[in-house]
Amino acid sequence: MNDQHEPADHILTTRGLNHYFGERQVLTDIQLEIQRGTRHAIIGPNGAGKTTLFNTITGKYKPKSGRIFFKGKDVTGFKPDKLARMGLGRSFQINSTFAGLSTFQNLRMAILARRKIRFNFFRFLDKIKSVTTETDAFLRRIGLAAERNLPAGLLSYGKHRCLELSLAMAVDPELVLLDEPAAGMSREETHKMVELIRELTQGKSVIIIEHDMDVVFSLADRITVLHHGEILATGSPSEIKSNQEVKDAYLGEAEVGNAA
Amino acid sequence: MKRQFGKWCAWAMILGGLYMAPRVLGVFELNVLLGTAIFALFSLSLNLLLSFTGLLSFGHAMFFAAGAYGTVLVLTRLSGFPLLPLIGIGAAAAIGLALLLSPLLVRVSGHAFAMLTMAFSQIMYATVMKLSHITGGNDGISGFAIPSVSIPVVGVVDMALEQNFYYFAISILGLSAWVMWFFTRTPFGSIMVGIRDNPERVTYLGFSVPLSKAIILCVSAGFAGVAGSIYALFQNMVSVDGVLGPLSSFSPLINCFIGGLGTFIGPIFGTGIGTILLELMSAHPEQAQLVFSLVLIAIVLFLPGGVIMLYWKANTRWMAVRQNIQNRFFKRRIYE
Amino acid sequence: MNAIAVMLITQAVHGLAYGMLLFLVASGFTLIFGMMGILNIAHASFFMLAAYVAFQIMAWSGNFWLALLLAPLAIAFLGILMERVMLRRIRRFKLGKALVLFELMLTVGIMVCIEEAVKNIWGTDPQIINAPDALRGLIPCFGMTYPAYRLFIIGLACSILILLSIVLFKTRLGNIVRAAVQDAEMTVALGINVPLVFTFVFGLGTWLAGVAGVAAGPLLTVFPGLANQMLLDSFIVVALGGFGSLMGAFIISMFLGELTAFGVQFFPGYSTIILFGFMAFVLTFRPLGLFGERE
Repeated sequence: MNDQHEPADHILTTRGLNHYFGERQVLTDIQLEIQRGTRHAIIGPNGAGKTTLFNTITGKYKPKSGRIFFKGKDVTGFKPDKLARMGLGRSFQINSTFAGLSTFQNLRMAILARRKIRFNFFRFLDKIKSVTTETDAFLRRIGLAAERNLPAGLLSYGKHRCLELSLAMAVDPELVLLDEPAAGMSREETHKMVELIRELTQGKSVIIIEHDMDVVFSLADRITVLHHGEILATGSPSEIKSNQEVKDAYLGEAEVGNAA
Repeated sequence: MKRQFGKWCAWAMILGGLYMAPRVLGVFELNVLLGTAIFALFSLSLNLLLSFTGLLSFGHAMFFAAGAYGTVLVLTRLSGFPLLPLIGIGAAAAIGLALLLSPLLVRVSGHAFAMLTMAFSQIMYATVMKLSHITGGNDGISGFAIPSVSIPVVGVVDMALEQNFYYFAISILGLSAWVMWFFTRTPFGSIMVGIRDNPERVTYLGFSVPLSKAIILCVSAGFAGVAGSIYALFQNMVSVDGVLGPLSSFSPLINCFIGGLGTFIGPIFGTGIGTILLELMSAHPEQAQLVFSLVLIAIVLFLPGGVIMLYWKANTRWMAVRQNIQNRFFKRRIYE
Repeated sequence: MNAIAVMLITQAVHGLAYGMLLFLVASGFTLIFGMMGILNIAHASFFMLAAYVAFQIMAWSGNFWLALLLAPLAIAFLGILMERVMLRRIRRFKLGKALVLFELMLTVGIMVCIEEAVKNIWGTDPQIINAPDALRGLIPCFGMTYPAYRLFIIGLACSILILLSIVLFKTRLGNIVRAAVQDAEMTVALGINVPLVFTFVFGLGTWLAGVAGVAAGPLLTVFPGLANQMLLDSFIVVALGGFGSLMGAFIISMFLGELTAFGVQFFPGYSTIILFGFMAFVLTFRPLGLFGERE
């Protein structure tokens, strides 16, 4: 299985992932196939193991069994920073920025990562003009130019959320894992966020966890439903909407009505 | 433009002052100044870990000691070793120690880092005592001659002369401080601050946190080693209680806190204030440390930003006053 | 009974007595750390200060029992003062991650302050506290004789250990304390006045250090450096025994006491290196298991 070649159009494939917290099995035989250039949503009730799946894919947890292929290469057990250098990015469910640094400095860190400036001890950072211009350009693109010098910790929640997403996207990953990007946002903010995600992830592969069904159905090309650590169904949005099993287990009530 | 000019003036005054010091000051004052400068560099190297990476080390004196012992051992055993490489050997000894310990140290942070560094410095203390046939144990090693330096154009410079040694030491110290400041301003420096604020995020951006921490540790240790090396030459002796005693790791920490956490030059202010305090207390030396600790407690409780905050506060207040004046006199004129 | 056995048993009793003292200090240290996340560097200084306060009370009244009663209370009062006035104040500053640094540094300041104050008041020369007449001399038992004072320390520590276990494991207060050690936030959510519990634990911890300090007076010489050795030893106990774990603290204290007693004879000079080396490895590879950095 290890030397099995994954199809080139799959950017990420997982084969039989299992993970345990102590005795409790939180992921059971997860098979995922993410097509290159698509947006793939993972939905499921709280505690279904969505964030654990993200942590396993990005290398924070090592799966107890199963394998992960990224860009056709077996990356099981790789550390998060190595995966990030290979082009796998992620954002967090709870804002995880550099709260004490300004918005500009936050984003500059991601731009440094994008330009692979890591162990440079020989130049003034302020004197590397291209980094500054690129960071400022990105700030304008995400609409945070006015907050350039404000510490990230003082940003409003919606803008902080936007910075959180941008930190992941500014590195220019090939595949990005977004963990509830619109969590805790108002209708209007959510709408803006969806537009921003659409713009920033153009041409990239995305896996997105989201509770808001409006967001899911407006963004996703494919949907996977996770329930008690197992995949219940995978398919196109319309297939998922009409899937009886999914309705019973999860969508059931008002939410699917809203979305439909 | 105006600010640039002010900055250059300040630099010129500092450099000029340091250059003129041997001509103006007596031998005693000069020694106080040089001692302060050495400990300022030591505190700065600790501050690299403390303010820029968020790691509190309770055992930084081991790197200082490694530098001191490295230099002195080579100096006393290999005759005819030139002076500048001796300092380099001090730095290399400290970096070597840091490399040795880094596989363990980079894995932890917070309390565990503090306790771990303390444990290592205790191990070093015990080892130095144990190897007393090499290190001289409690008595230490003393009475060695500082080698002369021959500079192509100037000729041979005798380092036994206080004034010459002062110029030599102060230039090395100043250069080291500048290199460290530069280090914090490089791209790597910004990653260092990122590690302080949010190591997990730094990892997910694709930077290796353990490797970065190891590099920072080595840089910090190296400069502590330089300080230790110059200290040993300056004191003309090295002993276990002098460089590894109970307070050797704490006093640079105290300097950093008094000066102000989170800034680069804070420790310099802190060390300066410490020296001034000690000199003021010179009539009652046994109470000096007591006053010092009370100052530290007061700073932590009432001025957590350190002495440098006083400057910032005064500065902002001055700005506010100026703004106010402008508003009153100039804006009104526009409206009227 | 042959001479070697006598020597070994005497040495073991010595070790046991020191281990018990160490446990009294380390239990407070580990409770405070487990509960509040504060590594109180000044904890061993309270131990040393207690010995001096006891010395002073003895000098005035000549009564050891009075000193054993009053000195720990005075120390506990200082401890509570430190918690309420200082530590609580900097917790309010909203320092975020830097709070750990400031707390550590504050306790360092207090440590230096106590040491220097003691040096200024009582001087650096070793002072001697005499054990009360009833506890002098040797007690014959099982065909051997033991120094009475060491047996007294072991008895005292054992009764405090039992008392502590009863308070911690059988009373409502103990339940709250243990809950707060496990998860302070959850305990707040249950509507319990956690700050008050913090103060109680801090007072209790420093009181224990105070008792140990007074008891150590006649056994060890009273000098300012007493704090240093105790601090390093209790560091090892907390690191190896696990944070907030009284049982772990007890086992490691006994072990360390015996090691100190026997190590002096069998491998002089190396015991420090071995111990700290071992501690370093435990700290590195099980910082969460034995330590648990707070989020």
